[in-house]
Amino acid sequence: MRRNQNSGQILLVAAFIMASLLLSAQLYVLEVGKTSGDMDADSLNDFMLSVKLGSRHAVAGSLANISTGGTNSILEFNLQEWGEFIGRQYLSGKNVLDFTLEETSPYSSGIYLSWGANGYGVSSASANFVHTLVGRETDVDTAYSVNVTTVLLIKSANRRLNETTRQINVTINVLNEALPALAKQITVYYQVSGTWLIPDDTNDYALLDYGNGTYIASFTATVPTPEVEVSVHATDFRGIYVQANTTSTEI
Amino acid sequence: MFDQKGQIRIIESFLAIAVIFSAVLVSVTFPSSPDFSKQKSLSTMGTQALIKLDTNGTLGDLIIQRNWANMKTALDTLLPLGVSFNLTVFDEAGNAVNSEAIQNSNLLGREVVSVQYVCATRSQVVDFFAIRLQLAWTG
Repeated sequence: MRRNQNSGQILLVAAFIMASLLLSAQLYVLEVGKTSGDMDADSLNDFMLSVKLGSRHAVAGSLANISTGGTNSILEFNLQEWGEFIGRQYLSGKNVLDFTLEETSPYSSGIYLSWGANGYGVSSASANFVHTLVGRETDVDTAYSVNVTTVLLIKSANRRLNETTRQINVTINVLNEALPALAKQITVYYQVSGTWLIPDDTNDYALLDYGNGTYIASFTATVPTPEVEVSVHATDFRGIYVQANTTSTEI
Repeated sequence: MFDQKGQIRIIESFLAIAVIFSAVLVSVTFPSSPDFSKQKSLSTMGTQALIKLDTNGTLGDLIIQRNWANMKTALDTLLPLGVSFNLTVFDEAGNAVNSEAIQNSNLLGREVVSVQYVCATRSQVVDFFAIRLQLAWTG
């Protein structure tokens, strides 16, 4: 009889229990959904890839500066700034980008510039990075190297047109990281009596662009000797300057 | 007395029904969890578009030149149809750099995904920027 009297209250208590079960189940589903929205592996990879790309650009920009007269310390300064900037970007944990400049010969402070007289010129910068991301659900260490190298290869031959005039051809190859690359600007020089001159229209100067990193410059010049000193100054599309000298021989 | 008990039972039953009904009502009206698979694909598309633009240094060049019109055109080309975007470029100090909105339509009222991207320019004076790309499905 007592049990029968309390059946209403039991019904209500059961209803409350069912309601709370229903609501907590719904809350659980919502929370699980939120967790899956956290920064996942793909987002992390994308972030690290963007940092890697930025590191490459920072090295290339520094080399562009150094190859046009800037001091070698610019590379270290820029990478330091880049590392500090990256450290401020990832707010879900510790984000550290460390770097070391390449010191293995022929590099010094990450820079190698060689603009020799053997038809080969190189402007190069190299650095090693370690990117560490430590967060609530993350612990990633990525090491990578960045090497930015612009190479200029030149060969030259000339033939005598008459007593004093010569036709000079210069074959120019531009390479970025050992792959053919286009040049933004190419200037050819030749030497007469110790003075460097730039051939122009009066020299019938023409620069043929093959579109694959190969260029042929041709011009006529009044040169008394069968051997002519030729110099090519080039800037690639990244703004990196390189030059090479060679001796044009008669064919 | 007996009739009063019966009425109380009925009231209690109604109360129980009301409690369960309100629980169902509350759970139905809970904000549904966002569709993360759709959001993830949007986020991936956005990041990939920025990476493509950044690979050859174009992204940094456009920022240096303050060429927001070309930036919008590039994103319009790289992102699929039906995706709205709004891009903001911040300098090292966290100040917005773009003087005008870089967007193809208004994102108001849409479920928006935000992508953070860092960028260094390839110029002789290297600058650093943080980019926030907000994306939403139009349809």
